[in-house]
Amino acid sequence: MTPDPSEYSRREQANAWNAVSLIASGVLVWGGVGWLVAEWLDNQIFLMLGLLLGMGAALYLVWVRYGRT
Amino acid sequence: MRRRSLATEASEEFHAPGPADFEFPELWGTFLTKPMLIIILGTVVVGLFFYYAARRGSLVPGKLQFAGESVYGFVRNQIAADAIGREGIKYVPYLATLFAFIAVLNIAGIVPFVQFPATSRIAIPLFLAIISWVIFNYVGIKRQGFVGYFKNMMFPPGVPKVIYPLLSPIEFLSTVIFRPVTLTLRLTFNMFAGHLVLLLCILGAEFLLIETQGVVGFAAGSVSLLFGIVMTFFEGFIQLLQAYVFTLLSAIYIGGALTYEH
Repeated sequence: MTPDPSEYSRREQANAWNAVSLIASGVLVWGGVGWLVAEWLDNQIFLMLGLLLGMGAALYLVWVRYGRT
Repeated sequence: MRRRSLATEASEEFHAPGPADFEFPELWGTFLTKPMLIIILGTVVVGLFFYYAARRGSLVPGKLQFAGESVYGFVRNQIAADAIGREGIKYVPYLATLFAFIAVLNIAGIVPFVQFPATSRIAIPLFLAIISWVIFNYVGIKRQGFVGYFKNMMFPPGVPKVIYPLLSPIEFLSTVIFRPVTLTLRLTFNMFAGHLVLLLCILGAEFLLIETQGVVGFAAGSVSLLFGIVMTFFEGFIQLLQAYVFTLLSAIYIGGALTYEH
């Protein structure tokens, strides 16, 4: 009933969806925080820092979740 | 259909289809519009289909029973078994209903005379996504405990503790907020865009063939009509695919909530 190769690919597929979602979330969360700080201090550099921080953290998280074996 | 009278009245200009084509006049009260009618009809169709397919289960299935078992078997083997595993069988009734319901409402977009995918109205995918959201969170909390569920979700092991404040909000947002949102938007705007493309091809063909004279108009209209027919078949494929994707992702989320052992 359960063909093994397709199960494998399905897991991979699920991981791919989750990874995309994680990266988008990372950029949104820390980019959002960066934007707030940028508005507060009136300095746009914090928006960029937030975006980069979020993307870095999200990539690290994807590696933690799915990259290690 | 609605546009035809418009086009012939204002025979000069071509009105490009837009978001306004997704607004329908009230047929009865403020409640009954064409999308509502399609939902009611779709529910009845899905209900009757499964009822009559399952009513007389015989060893040698008739055509209807075979069709019903095909849909059910497809969801069980291709979606539930793969995405959830052995426990998946418990969720097949929900997933099969979800798949059939979305598929019917999607396919309504290319059924002659109906020709509107009810799922392009955001309320419908949104509500289905909320149901899936409630189920996978409930299942996860029940399996891992309230604290355990969020702990496993937000604190992946093997990470320096200092980094958790950076990672946990991302995991939380991705799982709890983004999942229903992406489920909703993916389905809604696939159907929205598909319906727009079909409208553009067919209305463009109609305008070019009927309203404009000359060889160029005829040639362009023919191409547009042909493209419209091709796109109709393509839309049928997309509509089934999106029903599958929505159901598969719901199953994956349930499976993930059941077995978080990272």
